[in-house]
Amino acid sequence: MTPTQLLVGMADIQVVKGPGCFTCLGLGSCIGFCALDPVANVAGMVHVMLPEHFKDKPNDMPGKFADTGIAALVQALEKLGASRSKLVCAMAGGAQVFKFGANVANKLDIGARNALAVDEQVKKLGLKVIARDVGGHAGRTMMLDAATGEVKVRTVSQEEKLLCRLRA
Amino acid sequence: MQAQSITMAQGTLTLEDIVSKTTDLPTIPAAALAVMREADSPTGSSRTVAHHIGQDQALAARVLRLANSAYYGLSRQIMDHQEAVVVLGMRCVRNLAMVAATYPWMTRPLKGYQLGPKAMWTHSFGVAVAAQQIARKTKSLNEDTAFTAGLLHNLGKVALSIWLENRLSAMMALAIRDDLTFDQVERKLLGYDHADVGAYLGEKWNLPQPLVEAMRYHHNPNGCEPRSLLVDAVHVGDFLTMSMGYGLGGDGLRYEVEPEAVERLKLQPEDVDEITSDFVTEYESYAKMFEEMDKI
Repeated sequence: MTPTQLLVGMADIQVVKGPGCFTCLGLGSCIGFCALDPVANVAGMVHVMLPEHFKDKPNDMPGKFADTGIAALVQALEKLGASRSKLVCAMAGGAQVFKFGANVANKLDIGARNALAVDEQVKKLGLKVIARDVGGHAGRTMMLDAATGEVKVRTVSQEEKLLCRLRA
Repeated sequence: MQAQSITMAQGTLTLEDIVSKTTDLPTIPAAALAVMREADSPTGSSRTVAHHIGQDQALAARVLRLANSAYYGLSRQIMDHQEAVVVLGMRCVRNLAMVAATYPWMTRPLKGYQLGPKAMWTHSFGVAVAAQQIARKTKSLNEDTAFTAGLLHNLGKVALSIWLENRLSAMMALAIRDDLTFDQVERKLLGYDHADVGAYLGEKWNLPQPLVEAMRYHHNPNGCEPRSLLVDAVHVGDFLTMSMGYGLGGDGLRYEVEPEAVERLKLQPEDVDEITSDFVTEYESYAKMFEEMDKI
């Protein structure tokens, strides 16, 4: 049987128990973050767009923001039986525009800010990230095969490469 | 080095050659341009807009299909383009006419930039929506003009693509070696870049000068004299669209963002996150509209 194909669109959180192939298409400054509990056989992926949610606006899409998306992914995985301490994670994306002109405005560097915000959440939630392909100036696609634990990353101009295996 | 051989191969091709020797160059139906001019004119009338659409049956059919797409969620079907103008308004139909006029050729793949089917469209439409959002936020720009300028900003890539086929990897190698943006590499090898080609084509099409400027300076808004908020909106919209990963090709995000453009638009860096968030929500909601276009 073909495993479930899960397309993780902008701000999406997708989780599955058992086999499933996740794809996060078109990551620019956004970050694809995936996690797998090899014991419970539960895996998931989130497509984070921005570092922080807006304090003065309702946040109906927690996956949109790093400060709510990573925790929401973990919560969704736990609901399916995953245990936080067993989660093995990987991340890709966070690219940035090549140059920021004079008087660099750090706030405009969405890619670097996203990566930093995801790192903060990883630390806060005590997650184990075993591989990251972050930064640079190329668009990426990230894929996770829950059955094998293989995380692959493809850029437009380069061959697909194996980033890591989330299963031993 | 491979990059040097590109210089030799392309060295004699002028900008005019690129345009005159490229077969299958896109065009915008005259009726769509007439609709744009009429809707943008202070004396423009809905009746004349409807009349212009009616001059081109293919355009009228596409506009009608877009007007009836799930995006607008109308309770009853619009029967003809005259009714579309009445129900949706002249400005809305103006933008639909631009979408209908560009979608057929913008959805083709552009191998030279390693853009797959629809990638050019995804990016161009993204910049249209982002520039429109920026115009709305700044309140000092016409939203519809910003939409069209965003939609057409990369027109030059359509003409230049075929000449860059199988050369992009070497061009990127040169960009990395010499620490250049991709448009700088184009200028180094050809003497002009895709923005220049787009502006040249725009002039040939008799597009209004502000749209031509937006094409010419979208990677270099500080080069536009006098400075233009429309150019700035397209530049920042392009930056946001690239950042969100919409329709990235082999040249990726290898471009420069000029923060002065953000300042001239009187946007705080904090506003940029908010515009990005709103822009993505709006962009994603348009997906329903294009489902209809694909049925044509």
